Parts: sequence; structure tokens; C-alpha cells
Amino acid sequence: MKLEVSSAIILHHTDYGEADRIVTFLTPDHGRLKGFARAARKSRKRFGAALEPLAEVQMHWVSRSSGDLVSLRDADLVKLRAGLRRDLETLTLAGYGCELTEVLFDDSGAGVEVFQLLQAFLDHLDSEGFSVEARLLLEIRMLSLSGYMPHLQHCADCSSPLPAGQVSFSAFHNGSLCAECDAGRVAIKVDRMTLGTFGRILETPLTRFSGFKLSPQSRQEGQALLNDALRCHLHRPLKSLEMLDRFSPEE
Amino acid sequence: MLDSIPSFARLVAELAKFPGIGNKTATRLAFFLLRQPKAQAEALATAILDLQNNTRFCSVCFHITEQNPCPLCCDPGRDEALLCVVEEPQALLAIERSRSFKGRYHVLHGALSPLDGIGPEELKIDPLIDRLDKGSVQEVLIATNFTVEGGATALYLAKLIQPRGIRVTRLAYGIPMGSELEYVDEATVNRAVEGRRDI
Ligand SMILES: [Zn+2]
Ligand SMILES: [Zn+2]
Repeated sequence: MKLEVSSAIILHHTDYGEADRIVTFLTPDHGRLKGFARAARKSRKRFGAALEPLAEVQMHWVSRSSGDLVSLRDADLVKLRAGLRRDLETLTLAGYGCELTEVLFDDSGAGVEVFQLLQAFLDHLDSEGFSVEARLLLEIRMLSLSGYMPHLQHCADCSSPLPAGQVSFSAFHNGSLCAECDAGRVAIKVDRMTLGTFGRILETPLTRFSGFKLSPQSRQEGQALLNDALRCHLHRPLKSLEMLDRFSPEE
Repeated sequence: MLDSIPSFARLVAELAKFPGIGNKTATRLAFFLLRQPKAQAEALATAILDLQNNTRFCSVCFHITEQNPCPLCCDPGRDEALLCVVEEPQALLAIERSRSFKGRYHVLHGALSPLDGIGPEELKIDPLIDRLDKGSVQEVLIATNFTVEGGATALYLAKLIQPRGIRVTRLAYGIPMGSELEYVDEATVNRAVEGRRDI
């Protein structure tokens, strides 16, 4: 039994029994962990607000020899990010970011970059609030870190360069498709310029969220493309997605 | 070992379903009940059945009640213009214990939770809006919990209610009475500073 200490972002919690709580949290060096917090709901002394979703904390835990639940000992609040609670769309987008991270990466799959990306995303929403750009930036970078990034700039089937104008896209077929490979099967159409924009986004630093402004067309096409790619790789639908779509401001 | 006494085993199994009660405590309780006079056992059984048979949710505020509408909704001494919205009946009871509120109540029976897929349809929000549209309420005090879910619910309700020209307020964030600042968690201190007021 070794006491571990690490920065952590709380992704989710579920109540267990009358007083206990199971908490899913993301760390830079230990990936995603699930911990058991005894009496967390009854006694606010030990954990306070530090086990609430979206909180960034200094987590103290002990690994157990059996089972995948670690035992939570202490959590000190590092950052509350009160700005995430400014309005419903910001709060829902922040929650969506946490669920996306939880579902896209398995226990050991999330490395330090995933942590830094989610941290920067939450910081950005905390200060700037909701934006479609923030959502797209998070999604495209998470996909890229998960290794599921579809081919964008060349045909995913035959590798030939893509023509200007409308291009077909299918996450099921691993990305963009030239007219011949598509042969009329694919419903999603994306402008080459949008694909180019996504290519450039992937070259920017992972933690940069400010200063991006996409055209309405790029936002719409990009969202359709990312929805398709994410649906293809998530092992379950995201519960927060329906509410995010519902509470997001109209385009 | 309990298999040889089926009725005892059955009671232990039922008691162990209670929150916070494990097999060990359930066995202890069962032994206690075994030693009680028969009248005591009957009183307990009847109390449980009465609770099930006689209580329901008030059709106006959705608090637990034996008469419909509930006494809180019928009390002429309460202020029709002020409505307090809570997540659960337990929260209503907590506010009643404080004797600080003299308006009416509305119980949502839950909170919005984007991460658990709990949306507005699963809460008693439509009946709340119907009540407000009847016109006598001038202020809605949102007393949902101070959690992410309670906060999301408050934001959602404010968005629905404010356009109706009704004042929306939220319980103040505060330092617990009798506590020393040194021992209060950062989140509470943070909110208390934000919510400071003139004295
Ligand atoms: Zn091709
Ligand atoms: Zn009532």
C-alpha cells in the first residue's frame, strides 16, 4: 500500500449506498482512475467541494491490491473554476468535455497530453464561456490523441489528392474520399477548405484555445465530420451530448 | 447457517436492503425484533404498510402528503407570491425546520444531470411552469443543492422563469454558522466572498 499524490480533474461521480461516492478522475501520470470515497456525502470535512465534477484537485489515494477501485484519502481543491457555472451552455459543454475524455480513453490510455488538453479547455471555458470553436478544438484534438484521427487531406482509400470544393467524408471508411472511391455512398460533404482548417488546427499547440474564429460553414461542416468520427469510435453514446445540443445557442 | 430458519433469513435479507445497513446490522436488528412482543412487531408492520398506502405526492407541490393538496399548499397563512423550489422532500423539511420561509414550495424530485443523461423531462418542471403561469407568484427562490447538478438546474430554471417577468433568487452561499474560517473549505470561502453584503 503506497500513498499516491497527484493533480487530478474530477470527471464524474456516482453515489454509492447512503453516504459513499465513487469518483472518476483524470491524472497526468496515472491516466484515468476510479476511486472510492468513504462517507464523502455525509462528512463534508474531508473532501468538501473537491469531489464535484470539473474541480481540479490535489488527490491523495491508496491503490488496492485487488479490484480497480483505488481508495481516496484526501482531496485538496486547487481550482474551482466558478466561471464554468456562469450559464447552462458553458456548464454543459464543460461536462461534455469530461464525459468525452472518460469514454474516449480507457484506464491507461490517457497520457499527460490528454490531461493538459482537458485542463486548458476548462480554463478557457472558465474565462471565456461557451463557444462552438472550443468544442471543435477539444474534439479534434482528443480524437487525434486517441489515435482515431481520420485521414483528412488525402483520399483515405487510394491516397490520391482531393480536388477543391466539396469532398465526401466517412469516418467508417477512415476519412475523406475521392469521387471514385466514394462512388455515391457517403452522405457527409465537406469543403476542402474546412479540411485544410482542421489540418492547420492540428498543428497549433494542444493547449491553445483563444484566437480561433471559424466561418459558419466550417463550424457546421466540422461539427458534422467530428460527430461522425466520434460516433464511430466511442464505445457508448455520450449522455451529455443530447443536452449539449439542446442547450447550445442556435447557429 | 440462517438457511435452517427461513423466516429469520427472509427478514435479514429485507432489512439488509435498507440504506447504510449491511448483513451484520440486519442480523442484529432481526434478533432484536425476534425478542419484541408481538404487538410491537405488528405496530411496525402496520406503520410500514400505512406509509405505503396512505401517502402520495401532492398534486400541486409534489411534496409527500396524506391529504391532497397537502397542508402546506392549503395553509392560508402562507405567502402565495413567494415560491421555493427544492430538489427533494428532505430539502423542504430542512427549510421548514429553519422556520425562515413562509411561502409555498415546489419539489422537483431530482436535478438536471447532463453527465447522467437526466434532462428536464424527468423532473417536475412542467407542473412548476403551469403553476407560475397561473399568475400569483412574484418571486421564485431556487433552493437546489450546491452541487454541479443543483447549479445546472438553477440556471435552467432561471432561463425559463425570468422571461415571465418573475423575480428569481437563489439561496445565498455562506459560511456555516459556528465555524472558523480557517477550517472552511476553499469553495465555500470563495463563494462567500463573492456573495458578500453590506452590514
Ligand atoms: Zn480514392
Ligand atoms: Zn402541496
